[in-house]
Amino acid sequence: MTSETSPKGERRSSRGFRREARYGLHLLRKNPIVLLGSIVALASIVLSLSSGLFVDPNSWKTTHIAVRLCWNNPALNWNLRNVYDCSGPTTYALGTDSYGRDVLRMIILAIPLDLRVALEIVLSAVLIGTVFGGIAGYAGGSLDELILRLTDIFLAVPSLLLAIVLATILGRTLENLTLSVLITWWPTYVRLMRSQVLTEKEKPYVEALRAVGAGRVRILFRHIVPNSIYPIVVQGTLDIGSVILTFSALTFIGFSPSPLIPELGNLVNQGIQFVFTAPWLIIFPGLTIFVVSLGFNLLGDGVRDIFDPRLRR
Amino acid sequence: MTEGPLLVTREAVLEVKGLRVDFHTYAGEVKALNGVELTVEKGEILGLVGESGCGKSVTALAIAGLLPQNAEVVSGEILLEGRDLLRLTKEELRLTRLGEIAIVFQDPATYLNPVISIGAQITEILTSDRKRFQAELVGAGLKELQDRTEGKPLSPALEKEGRRLRSIEPSSRLRRGEVKRLAKLLALSYLRMVKLPDPARVFKMYPFELSGGMRQRAIIAMALARRPKLLLADEITTALDVTVQAQILRLLKELKERIDASVILITHDLAVVAELCDRAAVMYAGNIVEVAEVTELFANPLHPYTKGLLEAIPRPDARAELKSITGSVPDLIFPPTGCRFHPRCPFAFERCPKVDPPLVEVSPGHKVACLLYGG
Amino acid sequence: MVFVLVGVSLIVFYLGRGLLPPESALAPYITPRMDDATKLQLARSLGVATNSCPSWSALAAHQVECLVPVWGQYLSWIRNVLAGNWGYSLLPGVAGTQTTWDVFWLRFPYTAELAVAGTILTALVAIPLGIISATRNNKLPDHVSRFISLGGYSVPAFWFGLLLQLLFVLYLRVGGNALLPSNGVLDTSCALCLASPGQVTAYTGTPILDALLSLNPVYFWDSLVALFLPTLTLAITSIGALTRILRSSMMEVLRQDYILLARSKGLKERVVIYRHALKNAVLPSITITGLLFALLLGGVVIVEVVFSWPGVGAASVVASTVLDVNFLELYVLVTAFIIVVTNLLVDIVYAKLDPRIRY
Repeated sequence: MTSETSPKGERRSSRGFRREARYGLHLLRKNPIVLLGSIVALASIVLSLSSGLFVDPNSWKTTHIAVRLCWNNPALNWNLRNVYDCSGPTTYALGTDSYGRDVLRMIILAIPLDLRVALEIVLSAVLIGTVFGGIAGYAGGSLDELILRLTDIFLAVPSLLLAIVLATILGRTLENLTLSVLITWWPTYVRLMRSQVLTEKEKPYVEALRAVGAGRVRILFRHIVPNSIYPIVVQGTLDIGSVILTFSALTFIGFSPSPLIPELGNLVNQGIQFVFTAPWLIIFPGLTIFVVSLGFNLLGDGVRDIFDPRLRR
Repeated sequence: MTEGPLLVTREAVLEVKGLRVDFHTYAGEVKALNGVELTVEKGEILGLVGESGCGKSVTALAIAGLLPQNAEVVSGEILLEGRDLLRLTKEELRLTRLGEIAIVFQDPATYLNPVISIGAQITEILTSDRKRFQAELVGAGLKELQDRTEGKPLSPALEKEGRRLRSIEPSSRLRRGEVKRLAKLLALSYLRMVKLPDPARVFKMYPFELSGGMRQRAIIAMALARRPKLLLADEITTALDVTVQAQILRLLKELKERIDASVILITHDLAVVAELCDRAAVMYAGNIVEVAEVTELFANPLHPYTKGLLEAIPRPDARAELKSITGSVPDLIFPPTGCRFHPRCPFAFERCPKVDPPLVEVSPGHKVACLLYGG
Repeated sequence: MVFVLVGVSLIVFYLGRGLLPPESALAPYITPRMDDATKLQLARSLGVATNSCPSWSALAAHQVECLVPVWGQYLSWIRNVLAGNWGYSLLPGVAGTQTTWDVFWLRFPYTAELAVAGTILTALVAIPLGIISATRNNKLPDHVSRFISLGGYSVPAFWFGLLLQLLFVLYLRVGGNALLPSNGVLDTSCALCLASPGQVTAYTGTPILDALLSLNPVYFWDSLVALFLPTLTLAITSIGALTRILRSSMMEVLRQDYILLARSKGLKERVVIYRHALKNAVLPSITITGLLFALLLGGVVIVEVVFSWPGVGAASVVASTVLDVNFLELYVLVTAFIIVVTNLLVDIVYAKLDPRIRY
């Protein structure tokens, strides 16, 4: 291990990063469940990126009414009276939906969509939160008050409710749904960043920077923000799961632009009417949401454990 | 037993024999205590001296039965008036902490529960065990009656009260309200004992409203309330201002007389040892390396470490350079073989890395663990 | 507090009136036979059209002289609202009256019952789980509790609810009969509540309380049974979150020096944990309670949809499909009010518990 003294003390030296990474791996080895979750999360990301290789990305648009709501996977027997056995050569691993499409394929198409939406929302929320939270925390005074009161207003309404209202008004397109959830999500990040910045700005190095004559914007964004970013990163990773839950809840209630769209909540929505005749429509897409959300939550836990100074022995 | 006109042999309250304690950490096994030998005689103040990290606090925690989860007592005995504490169940250990051993810690800021009032933190001890404290509670009630009347003739109501209190059998139960009242009286008396100003007000206050010295007095009051046979004071003044330190130490000395306890005073400050202690034990890297009466220790230090410690004390009159002991405290995961001090010892010879020197008595009451003196 | 409510009302109003065409505000009032002159009259009285607007078609074409600026509309709306007039709703109400107010308050008790039950269940489960998890750290009870809390936090509530229904109605059978009633149609809904067996007078509108107050044990039991699955579904997410927080906060507290001192005083372990540790550990959890309650109030929507529960959440979904802005406005404002009041109460409780806080 070579020791480097970096000229800009506030940036983490690469040596430090390697050490963090090694410690992180050590923690992962000690806690197998977190490892499992991280693998699941990473697998879903890889799947999203490569789904085009397995499944034709446009296959959700064609319907096959003749084979709708049928099940012919011999591995699972539902013991229900009205299960319709598919005729025909293909074995559908997870049955077909109410449009006759292979449920497994729809799920494979849905995962990238949900993940993409979730990432868009989280990243945008982090960005907005960093900027406004940083400004609020650092500037203080009436600007801080204003931003704080604004977050109060948004936090006074439950996120699902606000998303419903927004989606109602703005119209049912995927972009609007994404926007609706984003609007309910940003206040948490503003507050988080703000409280971090409030603690950071009292630290001696900030005073030193001011004494040297550094400008306020520069101090804020090049120095304070990088030091405050870790709880935000942790929260963001954890939130990917929650965003997927909220978004799929929205489409489940019926806000999806079209019932054909391969989105996990949307798929479950189809299933409500057919609970006793085609339970697989509910079970498997919902299970996918659960597993992906679980994976990202575990990953977030692991990330938090790496960065939590108190857990280090 | 040794003879000598100056020595009065007193019975031992505490005997620690061959205590080995290991800590399991993710970096490795820390061999914190390496066969500690210690004796505390009844009514004395024993100083336990050493640098930070030498195992003084670990010894105290081991005696009180408060070692953390990752600690393991590998071998040894801790005999409190003949009973081996290491063989007791958790419940029995708890009862010894309730009535026989009290420990006071270093930093009063973090050792008091911030959301419970000082008074409540004392009375909870007194109301926790009826058998143990009932006699004292009743005594407090009687004393209060006495104070109120102060020699004046008793009114019939107060007489009746006095008779009732005196007639309470040890086995009978007092009412809840009565217990609360008496516990408060008793607690106030302990607060007075530690010389806290305006005890009635302090009783209702919370820790954050008190200064460091006052908090430490309150903690000492909590220790006194248990009337311990053995009081362990772990660096109790290190976190306080110098003037407050002196007050607390003086208080400790007085209290020891009043409640007839034996004290282990753990400190790294030799001046405190010289001032307060009857005997002193020097500790290094998990071993007791020297034990003697204080005057003897300062006049005639035998172990090279003790000598180094005494020489390191800066003297204002001397013009010489500050002397220090070369080297640094060893890593206890991979401690030095044989005598743990040998890497830093100016007198080390070839047997030192091979043999772990036992504690032997070199002259009456003076023991050393060093191959220079036998063993 | 008032500021927040005003802010919420502003946003909600702007969304409702500002982003939608002015005609949509008239939708609840217009009957098919209305002629244009009446419609224009209505528009003027609602503050949607200016007095100088020539005709209905001009308004429909959004001609400039007809449009009232959003601020103006807001002011007249506020005036109406403060007088208790929330306009008419497009949802079906009681005996033909369609005021938003009535429609809302008819359904609200059901939602309240669900929300309160959810809160109670969360507290009852999460607190012991969190304590056990922290005190038996890394042993079996801890693993079980972490599993429950992580699972609860990650599971989609709608899926969980549907799964529960599947399980209880289809697969868990006692002696050939389903554990929970259904007619072969998935109906573990509060149909039981609405068909009142025996004497039940609607004192409060909530099935359980009414059953208690009417001293009708059968109805009480039925409502309790019907309440069970929805409450579990509603609470599962917040149980997960609260257990995690309580666990970590408890573990943090148990590491503190004052716990060591409490043990050294010879106090019983039970006393150390419940009096010394818990009192400190709940403090950070209490601040979360406000947020969790907001989560609960949002989750009610999903649960009501899944279980066909006749509360305001399910109604809001219907309202959104028909663009019943009045209803949505009322709903959002009532919810915001409840949350703000809850946060205030939480702050007060926190100040009482922590002597270091003095206002």
